[in-house]
Amino acid sequence: MLSIKNLKASIEDGTQILKGINLEVKPGEVHAIMGPNGSGKSTLSKVIAGHPAYHVDGGSVELDGKNLLEMEINERANSGLFISTQYPTEIPGVNNVEFLKMALNSKRAFLGQPEMSDEDFKKLCEEKMNLLEMDERYRERGVNDGMSGGEKKRNEILQMAILDPKVSFLDETDSGLDIDALRIVANGINHIMSPEKAVILVTHYQRLLDYIKPTYVHVLRHGRIILSGGPELALKLEDQGYDWIEEK
Amino acid sequence: MDALTRIRQLGMPRRNNELWTFFPVAKIPTQEFPDACASEDDYSEENDFAALLPLAKNARTMTRTIPDSAEEMAMLKCNNDFGHTVLDIGKNAKVSLEILDNKVAHDIAAERFDINVGENADVEIFFANPACDLPLRFRHFNIKQAAGATVRFSSICKDTAIGRVSVECHLKGEGASFDYRSLHVLDGNASQHSRLTIYHEAPRTTSTQLARNLLSGSAHVSYDGSVIVGYDCTGVNSSQLVNTILMSEDACVSVKPVLKIYHDDVECTHGNTVGELDAEQMFYLVSRGIPKKAAQEMLMRSFAQETFLPLPDSPAKKRLMASTEGAVSSY
Repeated sequence: MLSIKNLKASIEDGTQILKGINLEVKPGEVHAIMGPNGSGKSTLSKVIAGHPAYHVDGGSVELDGKNLLEMEINERANSGLFISTQYPTEIPGVNNVEFLKMALNSKRAFLGQPEMSDEDFKKLCEEKMNLLEMDERYRERGVNDGMSGGEKKRNEILQMAILDPKVSFLDETDSGLDIDALRIVANGINHIMSPEKAVILVTHYQRLLDYIKPTYVHVLRHGRIILSGGPELALKLEDQGYDWIEEK
Repeated sequence: MDALTRIRQLGMPRRNNELWTFFPVAKIPTQEFPDACASEDDYSEENDFAALLPLAKNARTMTRTIPDSAEEMAMLKCNNDFGHTVLDIGKNAKVSLEILDNKVAHDIAAERFDINVGENADVEIFFANPACDLPLRFRHFNIKQAAGATVRFSSICKDTAIGRVSVECHLKGEGASFDYRSLHVLDGNASQHSRLTIYHEAPRTTSTQLARNLLSGSAHVSYDGSVIVGYDCTGVNSSQLVNTILMSEDACVSVKPVLKIYHDDVECTHGNTVGELDAEQMFYLVSRGIPKKAAQEMLMRSFAQETFLPLPDSPAKKRLMASTEGAVSSY
């Protein structure tokens, strides 16, 4: 499904952040990426999405055999990639629902499908908003405009639910969430997840993984995945931190 | 002194006159004036060529009175190159006034509007005409507001050539309020200029100015806004904000705020921002699958519509929002 091979990327001043990432994600899998601050976790998500602040120095990222790095940013999304960043951007004046509708219909146009009718979109939106226990005010607001950290994360998962991506890369989706919001967002992700899809979670804490059971846990440090394991690895990291890995 | 004599005294506009600092004065054709001037009022204190021009050309004056407490929706349109409208609005009247493009046969047009607003009247003045390719157009407004009068002045400009809108607003009565909003959506070699002077001549008067510009090609916009707060005008509140998005390397904006404050107990602010479309916002929209051009249009539309969103629901707001949509879509 998603295959990342020897991915290297740098920022404008030439500093290399990703120094050879290798990751294979298969349908139905949940991968958790953990690691200390500044290790390259957020950079990985942005490089895959095509953020213009990063330069790819080498390697490949394939989704179902197609090289994402050769695609425009919107084509990557429409091919089935969804990236939720740590700090979702606020866009005052662009209505949340209009934006969602435009995004969904852009994907449908890319896939050669007809535009979704207003009525069908309204139903879809209602269904997903109910799933995430979101109230009607979200419809009227600008994209992430004036929302609290938790509201923004919930809004991101709403987008994920509506766009129905093959692979979702969720960067610190649990940050800024209170206990109830964490449960709701995690339940939403579990509901969206299916044997045909995959999720990559970036997190610092085990608490999200209590709700979303990872298939694999990876440790990213200094721009490389230095250790991979099962769910027990996250528990060990929570208990002992990262220093023991270097000692190893 | 009549308008023609005053023009002869002032001479043609020059860049070293601060009223015309940013304007391409060389594009103003030398005018042929009639032998005599029909204007009877004394214009010896008037310094703006654009305000004098229609009068010096003997434009036919259209005078209209709106009675006290009347509710009216009106459209104004001059039938000649040069126009002069005098509007007296009575106390407590509620007026929505749309200004349509005049019918112009030559290469220069100039209109002057003298609007006197009675106590506690509520007036909206707006124009959102289709893009005009007239080579050179001046519009001058002289607005006088009595106590408690509210004027909302809003405009959208998509014109493709050279133009100048000048507004002199005198807040003469306590509690009078003036709200100015303009949106320029320009491309090519369009060159549009705004010149505002707001005189706070009474206590507790308020004024707001919001000018937004979306500029592409080699378009040039200037905004020259002055706020003058007189002696003993306590409790005045005034704000001025100019936001510009430059969509091309050659597009250009010139902004000159002027505050002259002769009283201590006032609150006056001004600000100016110039930039491109926000790169992070663009990335966010495109990373959700929206094509780049559509994402640009969404951001431009939101930028433009926010100019008029705070207006109360009214015919003006409806027309301006629809026109904004059209202006951005055809961009």
